[in-house]
Amino acid sequence: MNHIIELQRVWKRYDTGGEVVEALRDVDFHADPGEFVAVMGPSGSGKSTMLNVLGLLDTPTEGTVYLDGQDVTDLSDREMTVHRKRFIGFIFQSFHLIPTLSALENVEMPTLFGDDPTARDRATRLLERVGLGERLDHRPDQLSGGQKQRVAIARALINEPRILLADEPTGNLDRKTGRSVLDLFDEIRREDDVAVIAVTHDPQLGDYADRTVELIDGRIQ
Amino acid sequence: MSVLDDLFRRVPALLMARRNLSRNRIRSGLAVLGIIIGVLAIASLGMFGTTLRTGASQQLGDIGNEISVSPNFQEGIEELTERDVDEIRRAVTDGAVVPVRSESKLVSRGDRQTVTTVYGMEDPGALYEAEEGRIPDRLRQGALVGSGTAGLLDIEPGNTISVDGRTYRVSAVLAEQGGISLVSPNNAVIVPVEDVNGTGYSQVVVSADSGQAANESAVAIREALNEREERVSVFELQSITAGINEFFGILNAFLIGIGSISLVVAGVSILNVMLMSTIERRQEIGVLRAVGVQRGDVIRMILAEAGLLGVAGGVIGAILAVGAGVALNAFVLNDPLATFQVANLLYIVLAVGFGVGTSVLSGLYPAWKAANERPVEALRK
Ligand SMILES: Nc1ncnc2c1ncn2[C@@H]1O[C@H](COP(=O)(O)OP(=O)(O)OP(=O)(O)O)[C@@H](O)[C@H]1O
Ligand SMILES: [Mg+2]
Repeated sequence: MNHIIELQRVWKRYDTGGEVVEALRDVDFHADPGEFVAVMGPSGSGKSTMLNVLGLLDTPTEGTVYLDGQDVTDLSDREMTVHRKRFIGFIFQSFHLIPTLSALENVEMPTLFGDDPTARDRATRLLERVGLGERLDHRPDQLSGGQKQRVAIARALINEPRILLADEPTGNLDRKTGRSVLDLFDEIRREDDVAVIAVTHDPQLGDYADRTVELIDGRIQ
Repeated sequence: MSVLDDLFRRVPALLMARRNLSRNRIRSGLAVLGIIIGVLAIASLGMFGTTLRTGASQQLGDIGNEISVSPNFQEGIEELTERDVDEIRRAVTDGAVVPVRSESKLVSRGDRQTVTTVYGMEDPGALYEAEEGRIPDRLRQGALVGSGTAGLLDIEPGNTISVDGRTYRVSAVLAEQGGISLVSPNNAVIVPVEDVNGTGYSQVVVSADSGQAANESAVAIREALNEREERVSVFELQSITAGINEFFGILNAFLIGIGSISLVVAGVSILNVMLMSTIERRQEIGVLRAVGVQRGDVIRMILAEAGLLGVAGGVIGAILAVGAGVALNAFVLNDPLATFQVANLLYIVLAVGFGVGTSVLSGLYPAWKAANERPVEALRK
């Protein structure tokens, strides 16, 4: 099967005034459509760094990134942005919803700059799907943590991405709410054939993942 | 769906901008206030200049239409002859030619008397209007009395006055002339030209229909009379009005310059507001970038914010400026409608344009800064 995303011999070094931090060391990684991969490891081991490289938010110091078979390592900022919009959905630990926009507008937000006449309908359906059909016009500050994360998931899905990247998606949620978010991930990757890559400290995520990758000191174990 | 909603759907940068501005209303309000003051300053100072100019040109009347031809004393010529007058008549195609003789004489009515200028003119109707009575087409007998002299000697049309012992029936009292004039009638008496001593004329006044015609006449007269020797000097009042216009142009530029300073200050405050709000929204902008919003769209969004502040300030400032202009013109010119003239419209457009321009310009740096931050950096708490 073709990998939807792949890292080959990726290094990431940060030059912090003389001292060089190696956040990723010779990382090989891949994910397939419909696969649920959990990334675990101690704090500072490079999990977020790897997720940023996978999400085309950051470029590796060395190595190659393939997205849907295409080498995307050295794209321009504009092309990377286009690829992010087309292929990748992001979910953050602290949700990062826009406080001035309603739930519906937040979900539409990635489509806002661009002509997309069906976006509003898709956003409505996605919010219904994550169980927030009644909350379309609520502002983020009128929603609970779990509801905010559901809005964020709907936002990540609005452009029908091939990959969902989640950095500690349940980190700010209680156990039960976290579980419902993970159920949602499971449903999405099954129904939409999306690769889900989630960084986590949450042991219950192991129950859902097809595969767990462990990072220690920037190396995959 | 309202028009506004439709606009927001079409221009998402505006939607985001409006929402962002409503986040901190007081701060946005203060930024708008700065622009309001700047726009108000420029527009109302500009209109103030227009009012001054209008007032001044009301004072001046249409003197720009008149020229005066007088003998060139430096060449030893003391008066203009009938031949000169004929040549002037031929040179002037469009306008009235009024030869004038003048002298100081004792004018009396009953037991009141005064020494005043007496003009001898054949055709005073070309230059003056009557307040009471009527001005004959050709002045052959009788006298016209200026308003000042009439007041002094208590003269009405029909009265009899004596000028150096000669008696005249008064045909008309002339309307007071407010502006500057080459031959001011206010404190004068006008009699038939034969009754003033001498054979020639002390000056010839040409009253044209327009400033342009006056100017052409002046050129033609110089050509006709000054060909061989400098017989006459031609004085165009237009040179005065041109000078006055230039003065008011400079005054206006100066006033607008002062107004612009306040706009610059407003621009700095917008720069500050936008910079603060983009720094506060660093993460949000990082999220926008992460989900696929291009740099250019971020720039557009922030410029739209700055532009909205400018438009809001500009519109409110323009409305206030019109109000100020109406009040000013009502007070100075007794004519509030004088506000609505092209020059003022231009000042308002200029002021609003400056206001919006300053705002957008002030948004450039914050926009550029926000758009160029790497999303990874912005998202790291
Ligand atoms: N911009 C940066 N400049 C310098 N060092 C950095 C930068 N970003 C990350 N690092 C370093 O890279 C290493 C990996 O960081 P990363 O954020 O990927 O860790 P993590 O596994 O996500 O940790 P956590 O579980 O605490 O989120 C850390 O040592 C960190 O200090
Ligand atoms: Mg991390």
